[in-house]
Amino acid sequence: MLQILIYGAVSSAIYAMLAVGFTLIFGVARILNLAHGAFYALGAYSAYVFTSLLGFPLLIAAPLAVLLVAGFGVLMERFLVRPLRSSQLAVLMITLAVSLAVEQALFITFGSEYRNVPSFVADKLTIGGVDIGGQRLLALVMGVLVLLLLWLFIQRTRLGAAILAVSQDPEAAQYMGIPTNRIFSIVMAISAGTAALAGILVSPFLTVQPTMGLLPMVKAFAIVIVGGLGSIPGSIIASLILGYSETIVAYLISTSWTELVSLVAVVVTLMIRPAGILGRRAAF
Amino acid sequence: MKRIAPIDIIGGIIVVAILAAIPAVTGSNYLTGVLTVCVIYGIWASSWDFMSGLTGRENFGHSLFIGAGAYTAGFLSSLWAANPWYSLPLAVVVAVAFAVLVGFPTLRLRGPYFALAMLSTSAILQRLCLIFWEYTGGEEGIYGLDPLMKSPLYYYWFALGILVITVIVLTLLARSHWGLLLRAIRGDEATCQAAGINVTFYKIVSLMISAAFAGLGGALYAHYQLQVSPPLFSVIVSITVIIMVYVGGIGSIYGAAVAAILLTLLTEMLRGFGEYRLWIYTLTLMLILFFLPNGLIAPLWRRMTERLR
Repeated sequence: MLQILIYGAVSSAIYAMLAVGFTLIFGVARILNLAHGAFYALGAYSAYVFTSLLGFPLLIAAPLAVLLVAGFGVLMERFLVRPLRSSQLAVLMITLAVSLAVEQALFITFGSEYRNVPSFVADKLTIGGVDIGGQRLLALVMGVLVLLLLWLFIQRTRLGAAILAVSQDPEAAQYMGIPTNRIFSIVMAISAGTAALAGILVSPFLTVQPTMGLLPMVKAFAIVIVGGLGSIPGSIIASLILGYSETIVAYLISTSWTELVSLVAVVVTLMIRPAGILGRRAAF
Repeated sequence: MKRIAPIDIIGGIIVVAILAAIPAVTGSNYLTGVLTVCVIYGIWASSWDFMSGLTGRENFGHSLFIGAGAYTAGFLSSLWAANPWYSLPLAVVVAVAFAVLVGFPTLRLRGPYFALAMLSTSAILQRLCLIFWEYTGGEEGIYGLDPLMKSPLYYYWFALGILVITVIVLTLLARSHWGLLLRAIRGDEATCQAAGINVTFYKIVSLMISAAFAGLGGALYAHYQLQVSPPLFSVIVSITVIIMVYVGGIGSIYGAAVAAILLTLLTEMLRGFGEYRLWIYTLTLMLILFFLPNGLIAPLWRRMTERLR
């Protein structure tokens, strides 16, 4: 029982980190970023390059990797997405092209074999008789921390207020003197950075390989649909629902069935409440 | 809708005649094989274009129908040892069934939701193929399908014939009252609904038509490769198809088919570049998105034949 509670919390935290960035960039800039999974993979691979190939200590490598991916995200938004923003399909296509290009670049550079990233904490902890890897616990703690910081940033700072304003009405925000384009860049950096951080945190206990981003992105998308596209609290609630139901399914039935949970969740949501749990706008 | 210009018919006949003649003249088995794949991609691309090009609901999971058709052929022919000819109609039925199943919950959704819902459905189906490896053969897939015809040349002509039928049927549909309605839905769905058009019905039936041809193409592909494997469901297949339609010019159907043939030939020629092939694809896509928002083939053909219309 406790095992389900802890492991469910860990996967919920990781999903939440991914989904929040995905929903944020959509809520603010209306960009459905299909390259989100690529950011996650890039984060893990950058951490691998910095630690295993360049020999940096992990504490330096991780922030560097996050910054690198955030910068990549900003460049992608500025030069590839922004010129095409008038057409939603073009945005979908271009972000998809970027994600394929990243996947192929990783494949060509590193090959398809699994790579190892060292753990921050190698110890195993025992909580109430449940063994859990320290790295998983760290992922949980970092996930909660990142979400808290993000919430404080958006609710309590001027920049956060500007982001909220742009998400409500970009045109009106522009009239009020908010530099909308700069806000897009900042949000893209946050979104790409959190995805990269999630990738770095899970890389020690999951497999690092070029296609690692696709499935988490599908999950993030499922969470965002369930929670309501553009709603941060909604995606956190949905992350908890999905994270826990997957863990429960994994314990009760089998790990191979977990993939079905997100599909069922999406279909049920779309049929019962297409706007998602906390979504403001209907999906159709 | 508009009458089909004679020059379009003449152009079409010439292209098909050339395509039919190439392998017969050169007698190269390799070329016949490549062209068979080209033609099958043509079926997939034009079927995508019918639903998504006309209604503007971009389907990012076309591989779902392709894979469903191919696996139907695989199960039938390899596991149950049925007459391989049954697999073509059955593949159509299965693909249409998938379209109904997936279409009802997803097609009510607006653009990006539909695109993403289709994308994840196909991704999850690919996972399911790996999860239920006892039945689907896992990564290896299903081997040992029976070929439909002994001679690769005849099979190529057969596939080419199906492509021609696909393009003709879809073009006629697109130019009919039905196609006009689909275009109207692309323009403004709410207004269509207000005008008493059952928008959901039209969208689902056009997805079913699109899926039927995609599934047929999937079965053709399975009987050409004589095996099916999970990558048929992959997002890459869907994307490749969408790129082809983009290059062909969205909504033109014949453009999609021609672009599919040319791009498949191009990738075949690029085989020497090995793993860089997808890069070149991605690059083509980016260049076309930026510089030719209306695509290449259909606008070019229209400009070339402007005076003859």
